[in-house]
Amino acid sequence: MRIPRMLRAGALIAAAVVLGLLAVQGTYALWNAGTATAPGTVSAASFDVSLKASPSGQATNMSLPGGTSATINLGQITSLAPGTPVYASLVVGNNSDAGGTFSTSITAGQATVTNVGLGVLAQYVTVSAKFGSAVAECYSTAGYAPLTAAGLTSAAVPKATSTVLCFQVSLSSSTSMLLKGQAVNISLTLTARQLCGVPSGCA
Amino acid sequence: MKNTTLIKGSAAIALGAALLLGGGGTLANWNASATQTPGTIVAGDLNVVNGVGAWKDPSGTTIDISTYRVVPGDKLTFRQDLNVTLVGDNMAAEIATTGITATNGFTPANVTVSDVELTVGEDPVPATLTPTGATQAVTATITFEFKTATSGRADVNATYNFNNVGFTLTQVAKPLS
Repeated sequence: MRIPRMLRAGALIAAAVVLGLLAVQGTYALWNAGTATAPGTVSAASFDVSLKASPSGQATNMSLPGGTSATINLGQITSLAPGTPVYASLVVGNNSDAGGTFSTSITAGQATVTNVGLGVLAQYVTVSAKFGSAVAECYSTAGYAPLTAAGLTSAAVPKATSTVLCFQVSLSSSTSMLLKGQAVNISLTLTARQLCGVPSGCA
Repeated sequence: MKNTTLIKGSAAIALGAALLLGGGGTLANWNASATQTPGTIVAGDLNVVNGVGAWKDPSGTTIDISTYRVVPGDKLTFRQDLNVTLVGDNMAAEIATTGITATNGFTPANVTVSDVELTVGEDPVPATLTPTGATQAVTATITFEFKTATSGRADVNATYNFNNVGFTLTQVAKPLS
């Protein structure tokens, strides 16, 4: 009997307190105020590198929608013979919409020369390259160096600018006349890499 | 003769009363009065409103975040000024942030977003703000870093929406001095 009586008394007191608070609309809150800010949306830049080949005239972005790598054919309009190299060029443009400084370097990897059909011409073919500022420079023999495993890397290509990658394909003077008419396929990988051009250094 | 006596008595009373009135006497006791002006009770104030908010690039240049495009290596800083008003002899308040509830389209490992840091000048905001007689400037700072370790073309064109970042100023008991 003692415990229920105490419980009843406690409940009555609690009810009285609640009713009292309700009756006077009391609150324990103090003043408060609030505000909010919307910092906005941070958006990443694109990494678009354009390619335009000559003499084929083909053009593409280095990366296709979905992120796969593009393939571009440079083409050939003159015949290759010992002492008579052929030339091709690739204009590589940095089309990123980065907000700050955004420079890239372009690297041409070592060329892979493969014979077409049963030919053996590949061993006599040398692929050289150089970077220039205009396509016309590609037809000058000066500055070319054979592409090695180390590849050839351009100077910085700032956004909204381009560089010209020149190719020279030459045939060894020791090439036998018997190989006349044979053909090779030349392929290489081109890589564009972001340089740390952020004004105060990369974070 | 009895009536004569009554008349004489009444006349005497009337005469006495007339003499009292004629003498200018009063029946009132002493009294005095005064007034008091307790004055006007004026409430204090507690408020927080936004001041200037801006993003800056790594070089400290103000940028328009709606058009700026980040690349790996970028570290942007957002600073939001908060103007705090505190008035009251026993006023004290705490300021806090609700934090960032962002919509992140980046690969989480490729970005680092700081917590909201509240400072007064260059110092961390005190636990309790008290009136200074002027509007107090509290600065909220957030940094966004696009890590250089990002590889390939990861997160090209990705977006990170900060949505709203809230701040609350709440009155608290004034600390004992």
